[in-house]
Amino acid sequence: MPVWVDGLLRSLGLFLLVFVAIRILGKKHPVETSPFHFVVYSVVAVITALLAANFIPNMAFALAALAVWVLLPLLLDYLSLHSKALYQILHGKEAIIIKQGKVMEENLKQARLSGEGLLKGLRAKNVFSVADVEFAVLETSGELSLLLKADKRPVAPHDLEWKVMPQIETQTVILDGKILHDALRRLGLTLQWLQAQLESSGVSLENVFLGQVNSAGELYLDLFDDLIQLPNPSVREMLFATLQQAQAELTKYSLATEDVKSKKQFADDSAKLQQVLEKLRPHLLR
Amino acid sequence: MTIASQLKNTLAGLKGAEATIRLYAEQARHEQSKVAFQEGLVTLSEVVENLAGRLQEIELAEPQYKSL
Repeated sequence: MPVWVDGLLRSLGLFLLVFVAIRILGKKHPVETSPFHFVVYSVVAVITALLAANFIPNMAFALAALAVWVLLPLLLDYLSLHSKALYQILHGKEAIIIKQGKVMEENLKQARLSGEGLLKGLRAKNVFSVADVEFAVLETSGELSLLLKADKRPVAPHDLEWKVMPQIETQTVILDGKILHDALRRLGLTLQWLQAQLESSGVSLENVFLGQVNSAGELYLDLFDDLIQLPNPSVREMLFATLQQAQAELTKYSLATEDVKSKKQFADDSAKLQQVLEKLRPHLLR
Repeated sequence: MTIASQLKNTLAGLKGAEATIRLYAEQARHEQSKVAFQEGLVTLSEVVENLAGRLQEIELAEPQYKSL
């Protein structure tokens, strides 16, 4: 067998083997794993590389080593699912760096993190002032997780006591001018619906790069031809405005009319519309 | 504008809104939104009915204002 055929077969076989091994080892991104996993990945990579380049003459020896470095981490991973102590030995323990707004210098030293390193970690999370941080943890992956002080957190609708429309993830129904039938079916929409939507926007399917259906069931289109201006109908806002206008008009009629019965009728209807407006506000405006 | 035609205007706006809400109730994907739209639709329909009734009364009482 010529040398190059040997090398070819070796590499192909190893490629498949390592591919399967890495898949089994897990879904985690190597950068986000613990140092332990990083070492495992590195050793597997090095053994494979040496074997592929024929630096290890004894095939069985190398494969045995590879098996140990793939199977043992698997076993340890499995065991650490059940034992907290083992998990901590394998992955280390996260360190609390900032507590109640105060930097824990002891823990900082223990984690061998310099002040500069801490500031860098904070900046990576868009925090430039330590005074804004309530609580920070150095994860075992070396990343800083932090909780901002209550008054420094971004405002959520909850803080404003707003009701907001519940959102469902947006589904892509057209990509690169092709209809994604699976997504359409999942939404319970038909081809006819999509065609009618496209027709009402006045575009052909081939011209659509992206079509997405949002939580309210509205279709958003992005075209290949960016010169075409799609009407961006703010239907929901307009609907809200129409209702508001009608409500104001009903109030006006109730004030204007002399007839007692219809005066009351108009006032009642106006109040009813007000209720509808309040009910629909989160769904139409937010 | 006469009262009758003003009422007619409001009625038309409300009916349009009713149709749009019906559409949204149909196509909303979250159950909570669907229910909100449907409940809004019920109340709105009552208002539309009342208004249409009042309009009819006016047209009966003052046929000179009756228009298309």
